[in-house]
Amino acid sequence: MLEIRDLVVSVEGKEILKGINLTVRPGEIHAIMGPNGSGKSTLSSVLAGKEEYEINSGSILFEGEDLLEMEVTERAHAGIFLAFQYPVEIPGVTNATFLKSAINSTRKARGLEELSPVEVLKLIREKAKMLEIDEKFLKRSLNEGFSGGEKKRNEMLQMALLDPKLGILDETDSGLDIDALRIVSDAVNQLRDPQRSFIVITHYQRLLNYIVPDFVHVLHEGRIVKTGDKSLALKLEDEGYDWVKGGAEALI
Amino acid sequence: MNNIHQEQISEHMERFINMFHLYDVGLNGHRHEPIAEYRRNGFELLKSEDFPSRRDEDWKYTSVTPIINQKFIEAPKANLPSQPTLDFENHAIVFNNGHLSSQLPTIEGVEILSVADALKSESYNNWINAQLQVQSGTLKNTFLRLNQAFSASGLFIKVGKNINITKPIHIQYNSISDSNQTFITHPQLFVWMEVGSNAQIIEDYSNSGSEDASYFTNVVNRIELGKNAKLVHLKLQNESFKAQAVNNTIVSQMRDSNYSHYALDLGGNIVRNNLSIRLMDSNTLSNLYGAFIGFNDQHIDNQTFIDHAMPHCQSNEMYKGILADRSRGVFNGKVLVRQDAQKTNAFQQSSSLVLSPTAVMDTKPQLEIFADDVKCSHGATIGHLDESSIFYLNSRGLSENMAKSLLKRAFISEVVDHIENEDLKELAYAKIEDKLNLMKI
Repeated sequence: MLEIRDLVVSVEGKEILKGINLTVRPGEIHAIMGPNGSGKSTLSSVLAGKEEYEINSGSILFEGEDLLEMEVTERAHAGIFLAFQYPVEIPGVTNATFLKSAINSTRKARGLEELSPVEVLKLIREKAKMLEIDEKFLKRSLNEGFSGGEKKRNEMLQMALLDPKLGILDETDSGLDIDALRIVSDAVNQLRDPQRSFIVITHYQRLLNYIVPDFVHVLHEGRIVKTGDKSLALKLEDEGYDWVKGGAEALI
Repeated sequence: MNNIHQEQISEHMERFINMFHLYDVGLNGHRHEPIAEYRRNGFELLKSEDFPSRRDEDWKYTSVTPIINQKFIEAPKANLPSQPTLDFENHAIVFNNGHLSSQLPTIEGVEILSVADALKSESYNNWINAQLQVQSGTLKNTFLRLNQAFSASGLFIKVGKNINITKPIHIQYNSISDSNQTFITHPQLFVWMEVGSNAQIIEDYSNSGSEDASYFTNVVNRIELGKNAKLVHLKLQNESFKAQAVNNTIVSQMRDSNYSHYALDLGGNIVRNNLSIRLMDSNTLSNLYGAFIGFNDQHIDNQTFIDHAMPHCQSNEMYKGILADRSRGVFNGKVLVRQDAQKTNAFQQSSSLVLSPTAVMDTKPQLEIFADDVKCSHGATIGHLDESSIFYLNSRGLSENMAKSLLKRAFISEVVDHIENEDLKELAYAKIEDKLNLMKI
């Protein structure tokens, strides 16, 4: 599904990712962990198509297509969904209007019939219920004045509605209390299927108790220095990143 | 003496003088009718003045010379076969090229007359003449006199005591412009809201003639709200992109009255609005909301003036604009809080989105406060579309265009959402969408 090869990325002349290799197959969940500044968020932003990043070398194939050639909107239509670490607040645009536009433009691009306002509302209500989202929430401006937990649940609602092939969660768990974390994790688990993959970027092993990954990668100074199964996350939790860092230096 | 005076008269004023003489000569036996007298009074004031220049502080950002230098002819009577109608029930009044072209509606407890007929009644005549004495907040406002001298088909509305008009009054001003001639019209509206009355008025300007023709619409609205009266006043200005429009709206508010003004300026090449509110007594509420969208080389100038003369009054003001291409916006908001106007709450905000490097916004808040126990604030922001918001919307599958138009609509919505009546709000949004859809960036 996703093939990242020797990806080197810099921001304002500073190299952040120094040769990333990652293969994600359909149905897999990959967790990416690593200390602050290791390049985790850069990786997710590059996948979603944020502009301020400079791709120096390497390639990303998504379903066999050159992802780096695609516009942000095209990537969304192709099935990439990034759950933002800091969802943007947009006053004056109601959540309902936004969701309706997002659903129908995505459906149109995928060759599906657009839904009528009644059908859209029905779909939104159904998914909102799953995420324990109050309906009043739909009439409010997009993310404006939402609590941290509400914003993240709203991200999950969008993910559920847009039906992506690859969901990328960028530190979705940061700052969530245990109830919100459970709701977010439930959403991901319900969306799990053999055709849909996830990349879960996190600081904390805690999330991985709820969303059980197939692979855990450790990112350090712009490189994946360690890959293992879920037990790697537990070891990181117990022992910190120092042993990995040491290993990384030894590798060089 | 007379000769010296003659020499001082500018070429454009001379053209208006000649135009008036033509009218005067044509009067024959009607010279002594009240409307003729009324117009002649306006003319006498007009010819002793000249038009403002950019040296006049109140006209600093807008040159009216390109407007008044034109060789105008009074717009002829014209008929439009079918009138676009509104989606909701309303009392319709139609002016084509400034001439009344529909029946005046009959509403119980409400007098709707031509100004010519209203002037024939002594009490209405007195009231109209009193209104003419109410000063505009804009100095060197020659357009008021020009309107009085030339207004051929003014409208007078008196809403009786405690009368509540449930359906909005829709006053439609259609221009049928002609590319071979430059038309001038002088719409004129007097609204007298008696004690406890309640109404909604839509002032709606559009053009169905040539898109390339220049024409000038010189509007004066004079409004008085009696005690406890409430008026919602929505102005939709959708003139063609070659037209000029000057709109003077002068409002007096009595005790406990409530006036809401929503101005939507979407069309016109040179647009100037002077909105003046005088608070004659306590406990009034005034809402001044304006939205404008400019592109090509549109120039849209809003000047507002609120005179807080009495204590315990509240005014809320918000103007928002989107400017693209080489368009230019101006906001000059004057608030005067006199010494007696204790416990005044006056809030003012103006914000604009400037979408091109060649578009310009000038903002000049002007608060003069002489009372010491008041709450007044003003704020002004000028910005661009937020890149991170566009990225967020794109990442959810909305195209660049969709994302931008959603954000532009959202920007304006802060003004439009203040319209309480859902029908009026939807009408305003529909006009805004039409204009935004024409925008390329």
